[in-house]
Order: sequence, then structure tokens, then C-alpha cells
Amino acid sequence: MLKKSKPDDFHLIKLIAQSRNDAINELYERYNRLVFSVAFAIVGDQSVAEEITLDVFVQVWQRAASYRPELAKVSTWLIAITRHHAIDILRWQRSRPEANSVNWEDIALQDGPLIHNLEEQIEGTLKKEQVRKAVAQLPEEQRQALALAYFKGYTQSQISAALKQPLGTIKTRIRLAMQKLRKLLDED
Amino acid sequence: MIEDQHVLESLPAYALGSLDESEAQVIAGHLAGCHICRSELLTFQEIAGQLALASPQAVPSYDLKPRLMERIQSLEPNRPKPERWRFAGRRLAVGAIAGLVLIVTLAVSNLLLWNRLNQLEVLSGPLGMRAIALQNTDAAPNSSGFVVMGADGNNGVLVVDELPALDTQYEYQLWLVRNGNNTSAAVFSVDESGYRGMRIEAPETLLAYSSVRVTIEPTGGSAHPTGESVLIGSLFNP
Repeated sequence: MLKKSKPDDFHLIKLIAQSRNDAINELYERYNRLVFSVAFAIVGDQSVAEEITLDVFVQVWQRAASYRPELAKVSTWLIAITRHHAIDILRWQRSRPEANSVNWEDIALQDGPLIHNLEEQIEGTLKKEQVRKAVAQLPEEQRQALALAYFKGYTQSQISAALKQPLGTIKTRIRLAMQKLRKLLDED
Repeated sequence: MIEDQHVLESLPAYALGSLDESEAQVIAGHLAGCHICRSELLTFQEIAGQLALASPQAVPSYDLKPRLMERIQSLEPNRPKPERWRFAGRRLAVGAIAGLVLIVTLAVSNLLLWNRLNQLEVLSGPLGMRAIALQNTDAAPNSSGFVVMGADGNNGVLVVDELPALDTQYEYQLWLVRNGNNTSAAVFSVDESGYRGMRIEAPETLLAYSSVRVTIEPTGGSAHPTGESVLIGSLFNP
């Protein structure tokens, strides 16, 4: 069993690499909503998003030993795996129900714990709010390009075709959006 | 030459995975040798990770966790056991397994060194065991690799060395090829020296396949090869 003082994410991954069931259980408790939310935002289907969530945690179970903390935080690693998996599925499906299409305007702060620990929950909620505010400060055309890249997995060429804008314009929008987010998130 | 120029302007899109494949490969090639751009990329990858927090919150079913634990529990027992180990069964001690792993590791290390000296493609060992040298490509010109397999092809080990480190968006994937069809056999990363050794998880004997290849794929692996090949080799008997 895990000690009462909860291990940090990296420690959890090390325990998972030792096939500790309680560690994968704890990691799931911490991140299942985040992983599922990202998967659902991309594929727009509850059951497919749940399968992706399962696959992500199974992959973590199988590949925990290959995690390299110097390259990414655990949460960043999880999100990277989730996005790649979900976008891969989306590309195979080649279409996505428009009823479930996501844009940044859908974003609304919701209640309900993302993280168990109260202190972490407050911190997590503040961080979510900070990210949402930062996204909201982007010009509309940058938000639109960013949403297509992030939630639909479109390449810049595909965004260019979808929005009927020159490729160079799309490249600039993506670059400026990410640079501004970096500045805004660094400031707060 | 792109290797001589930083690629800072492309890094935000690279971190989002929104570059076209050819452009992404050029950037990946530059990143392999540029710590400045790698460091900058980590920052943008972190931003991309944080964007997940802006996703509309959704909640999975309550039964998802039991399903996960069930799936994890089922992983170990379902792994196919090699026929020749079955008779040894429960009496095969952990120490004996560790000893076998050590022997194979030492043997493969020697084979890697041997390969550098002699450039042999296939080495035959006792009881029909074979070590097949993989050919590197321009994408990883300093890399080397071996597939070591038993006579019946039911067990195989892949060992690679000096493969370039990849950023978190990419991993290596091993494919078994037959009649032009690719079957994924492993998704892996390498350590600081580009080394990795692992058992090949094949759905059937390796003798059923004509060749193997290792490609660079998005993290988590792909359903089909999409990236550049870094190592290739023929599994045909000489």
C-alpha cells in the first residue's frame, strides 16, 4: 500500500514500473478526468474516449520504465500520449460529428474535483482558470487555428485548406498564439 | 543546411503536432543535434500540455477504473509462454531466469561488438539460434541493432544501440513484415546512449515473417508505419 503522504507523480511512475497496482490506481485517480476530457474533446464519443483512456493508462503501466522526467512532467507525458492516440483514431475515422465539435468558447469552469487533495484541487482549479483566461485573450483567428490543431489534429496545411487562408497566415497564427500563451502563462 | 540553423519558429507547431510530416521530420533531425532548440521545444510542449486544462471537463463512467484494473491484471497471464519453457514450469527459479537474461545480454553485447568488427549479417549459434544484424539507414547512420531468435522463432530479442534520442512526441516502433503487411511488435524509447534491449512480442513465430524494421512514430505507436525507418533487416534463413 502507498504511504499516507502521497508520492509525487514521478515517484508514482517509478512504482508503476515495479508493477505496483496501488500506484496505477492512484495515478488513475489523479488524472482520469483530465485524460478522458482531452480524449472526449477530440473524438466526441463517450465510449471511444473511454477506450482511449483505458489504452493510455495501460500504456503507462507497460512503459513506465521508459518515462524520462527530464523531458516532460508526468501530466504532459500523459496528455501527449492521449492526444496522439485520440488524433490517430480521429484521422482513421476521417470525420467527426459536428454536434460534438469543440471550440474554446465551450469552455466553462465546472465544479467537481479533478484532484483528490483539497489543496491540489484548489491549485488545479486556479491553473485551469489561468489557462482558460489566457486562451480567451487570444484573437479569435488564433484561437480558431489553435483549436483545429489541438482538438482535431489538423496539420497547418489542413487548417489552411479548412479556413481557406494562406499557409503562411496559418503558420503565423499558430506561432503567435503559442508565443502569447507562453508569455501569459509565464506572467501569472 | 537546416542542421546549421535553429528552427525556433517551427517549434510551437511542432509541439502541437501540427507540422506536415516532411517538415516534422526535418525539425526532428535538427532537434537530435541541437540542445538549444530541444530546450525551447520543452517549453512549448509544456504549454501544449497545459492547454488540456482548457478542455471542456467530462467524466468517464464509474466502471472505467475496474475495467482498467481488470485489463492490467489480464496482461501478464495472457502473455504467450514459449513451448520449451512449459515443461520447466513452476520450478524455473527467478535466479535461473535472471541468469538466462544475463547470458543473452552478454552474448548480444559481444555480438554488437563483433558486428562492428566484421559487419556480418547473420550469426548462427548453438541449437540453431541466430543473430540477425539490422542495417541502419541515413536517418540513424550510427545506429546498430540485432534480432536474436531461437531456432523455432518462438522467442526473439531486439537489441539496438546508438539510436538518436527522440523528443516526447515520438518513439521507436518495431514492425514485423510479411507480404507487405506490418505487424507492430514493440514501441520503445532508448536510454542516453541510444541503447535498448527487449523481448519481441510476436503473435506467432518470427519465422512467419520476412523482415523487420524500426520506424519513428508518434508516442504510443501507430497502427501502420508512418515515419522514417531507422533499422531494417531480413529474417529469411540464409
